[in-house]
Amino acid sequence: MAKPRGTDGSLLASLPWTLAALTISLIPHVPFLPVWITVAFLGCAAWRFVIEKRRRELPSTWLRAGLAVGCFVGVFATYSSISGVGPGSALLAIMAALKLLETRKRRDQFVLLFLSIFLVMSSLLREQYLWSVPYMALSLIVIMTAWLRMSAGESQSARQSFATGGRLLLYAVPLAIVMWVFFPRLSSPFWAVPIDTSQASSGLSDTMSPGDITSLSMSDEVAFRVAFEGDIPEPRDRYWRGLVLTRFNGRTWSGREPSISRSALSQIEVAGDPIEYQVTLEPTRQQWVFALDMPTSWSLQRAFMGPQQQLARTTPIDQRIAYEVTSFTDFRIATELSEMYRNWYSALPDDSNPRTVELAREMHAEAKSDRAFVDAVLQKLNREEYFYTLEPPPLGRNPVDRFLFETRRGFCEHYASAFSVMMRSAGIPARIVLGYQGGEVNPIGGHLIVRQSDAHAWTEIWLDELGWWRVDPTAAVAPERIDIGASDAAFFGVGQAWGLTAPSRLMHQVKLTWDAMNAKWNEWILGYGPDTQKSFMQWLGMDDPSWRKMMLTLISLVIGLILLISLLLMLRYRPPQKDEAARLYRRFVKKTGLQPQTGETAHVFAQRVVESRAAPGDSVSEITDAYMDARYGPGGEAARGRLRNAVGAMR
Amino acid sequence: MSSIPWPFPSPRHLFPSLKARINARAKRWARKRQGRDPATTRLGPGRVYILPTGVGLIFGLMAFAMLLGSMNYNNNLSFVLTFMLIGVGFVSMHQCQRNLVGLELTFAGADPVFAGQTIRIRIAVTNQSKSARYGIRLYATGTNSDIHDLKPGESMVFVLPLPTEKRGPISLDRFGVRTLFPFELFRSWAWLHMDISGLVYPAPAETAPEPPPTMTAHGHRQHDARGEEDFAGLRKYHVGDSPRHVAWKAYARSGQLLSKQFAGADTSSQWLDFSELPGLDVEQRLSVLTRWIIDTDRKLEDYGLRVPGAEFAPAHGEPHRRLCLETLALFDGGGS
Repeated sequence: MAKPRGTDGSLLASLPWTLAALTISLIPHVPFLPVWITVAFLGCAAWRFVIEKRRRELPSTWLRAGLAVGCFVGVFATYSSISGVGPGSALLAIMAALKLLETRKRRDQFVLLFLSIFLVMSSLLREQYLWSVPYMALSLIVIMTAWLRMSAGESQSARQSFATGGRLLLYAVPLAIVMWVFFPRLSSPFWAVPIDTSQASSGLSDTMSPGDITSLSMSDEVAFRVAFEGDIPEPRDRYWRGLVLTRFNGRTWSGREPSISRSALSQIEVAGDPIEYQVTLEPTRQQWVFALDMPTSWSLQRAFMGPQQQLARTTPIDQRIAYEVTSFTDFRIATELSEMYRNWYSALPDDSNPRTVELAREMHAEAKSDRAFVDAVLQKLNREEYFYTLEPPPLGRNPVDRFLFETRRGFCEHYASAFSVMMRSAGIPARIVLGYQGGEVNPIGGHLIVRQSDAHAWTEIWLDELGWWRVDPTAAVAPERIDIGASDAAFFGVGQAWGLTAPSRLMHQVKLTWDAMNAKWNEWILGYGPDTQKSFMQWLGMDDPSWRKMMLTLISLVIGLILLISLLLMLRYRPPQKDEAARLYRRFVKKTGLQPQTGETAHVFAQRVVESRAAPGDSVSEITDAYMDARYGPGGEAARGRLRNAVGAMR
Repeated sequence: MSSIPWPFPSPRHLFPSLKARINARAKRWARKRQGRDPATTRLGPGRVYILPTGVGLIFGLMAFAMLLGSMNYNNNLSFVLTFMLIGVGFVSMHQCQRNLVGLELTFAGADPVFAGQTIRIRIAVTNQSKSARYGIRLYATGTNSDIHDLKPGESMVFVLPLPTEKRGPISLDRFGVRTLFPFELFRSWAWLHMDISGLVYPAPAETAPEPPPTMTAHGHRQHDARGEEDFAGLRKYHVGDSPRHVAWKAYARSGQLLSKQFAGADTSSQWLDFSELPGLDVEQRLSVLTRWIIDTDRKLEDYGLRVPGAEFAPAHGEPHRRLCLETLALFDGGGS
């Protein structure tokens, strides 16, 4: 059955708006889509518009089917999958483009508008920036206008539709806010769907192989932000503990999968004042949870402490999360280390890095105590020619030997690894902690920004009198790295090298302001999860918030708001008061100061007013005419308007 | 793509009788509840009903799916989008209902038509409020008016075309007014039960015998028209008499409307007689008479109509024509 394919230009009023709605909701996807999809969409949109404009025929079913098959094959070839946000939005864009080519009737455009709503939704799943909300509002108002254009009669201008769409959206805003605040948030998803598998994890690597990667990324990306209750700790105390690596195979340090330890927390002895703060962690797609060394309590659900005092969550962190932590920078991990564990923590593979092992044993034999041995090693790293660089040479086989005796250049991983190998060679249990060190204080937001470039590796060694004791060999080589932090070090370097300190200072200030806004945004809007919601509900005065209570509040508030909106609409659509003309006329009479006599008509009264010079003749006759027309003639609202203006303008 | 047929029967086809029954019951309920409406009726909020449309149901499903998605991803911005859409749904529901409430509907007549033609029932809709009303449509069983927008204070006549089959009075017991504005997510409507009636004339016969020749008063063919100059007397005024023939002087004296009768006029007029059409049944005769009336009227000649139970003296003009056609439309056999 062949369907008619001709167009009659009847969509000309609505089609441009539908195209605009689709385009505006597609724009956020463009950087992520293969170029040919954007080109195909724009091509189809332009093609369809010309067809309507010139009243041509739509492409034939065969051509459309061919295009559809081609496009779907193209999407599959590009992504080799059809699930996930990437291929999903590609498919949505393709479907919109193809649907355009068969849109003939007014109502076919419903499908297009539904597609554009889904496009907006999927762009929000991908990115949630500060500007995403205004952009969403813009997309929505264009979609709503297109929707209204679709069924608008000829008497409605696009401007009116735009105004109506905007008004209805505005009414919906308070409803949306109430629902957003009170709708109970789930702490766990129903089913785990990867948001975007193409994106690699941006957090720390689970293993460490100094010498394999020859340059460390200086990524400016934010790892997490921290808002402290009190003062921000000194840079040298800002060790953000992540994961712990315990096994070494000669090249690579590796840890274990996160596991719960019941005794880990009880091994911590603390002193000094607690430091309370909130961490807003960017998604890492890993399980590790970062906290200031050493955390003692944390608010994150399903988070636990592992045997080496590392924090982890049972599920990977693929959303930005916020959690509160209490830490102590003055602490001791006091535990008995059994013989078995002692061996485990000082195990080294046979016949790897032989020179390092030999050197360590010699130095240990010379030193009077383990403590003295540690100092000697640190002094060696400090006094001899070792350089801190982010671009060290590759190391090859026996990397520690090559690093210590030949290249002598490296960054934190190299030093931590070399130091640990030396400790283990001497029989001192050692392990490597991966995390972040330092962070930049944002004076505008009052919080600390920790970036990927602040990633750091340090060591913990076991000494009988101290327990597990943190030693940072990098500090021995590049103390400024620890004292002012990686970001600032890099910043000052760049600024001075180019002699452009002042302008880049200003730029930096702008960046910090932007960062502060983003921090608040993340904390209050994106980070509004089950925990924040609960504390917000308590702040609102709801005791013991449960989803039942929140739902009840939500429903009653929504009903209240709807009643309010209904009232607003009722006022908007109320008929004019029947006697408005009479009321206005009474006002006029009052202004003249005269009193109409019984049986005196409006015209006679007007004449009397003019004769007595109580009011100018023009306005009196205008008022009288408008009044007669409004009250007894067909004048209706227009005459009432005239009367209103005339009476208002009088004196 | 869209030409691929949906493999399942739609609910509309599955339960036609159920839907009709529900509809009929709802209409009966509304009729009982609202009573008969006066000729000018203002729609109160209590009689404007509302239900989601198919698009509205799909929209609701989409919003629900988006809510599940937002919950699953715990994505606060897609929550914002979802709740905005749900909010728009709520708002458009109220907007849709308010788009009708307060409208004033008045029956504005229906011109008679001949059977088989479409009678156009006119209903004036007035928007007295300060806001425009969009996408208003009137409907009745089997018919729809055009869709119109009403500016603030505007009044507009909507036309409901009704097909006619038989002569006689036609009435519209119920009609509705509805709107899909703003987003076609909801349909709100009101039923009205006004006294709306029109008249359907008999269908003019397509083939009719020649009208009877012009007769004199004595049954002879008239050969020489003597004109209207010979005054023959006065008789009571009938609707359709020419004002020129009204005896105004007599009226001034007695206060009674009298028409002057002219000999010439009487003798030169045609009588269209029901009984002079043997061999045809009643409806056929009425059809032929209708045809004759139309044709003679078009020739601007006087004609009289004689049917069992009624007789109209020869005259011409629109009121006379209407009187004759109305008589034929309402003819009930002359009491026999």
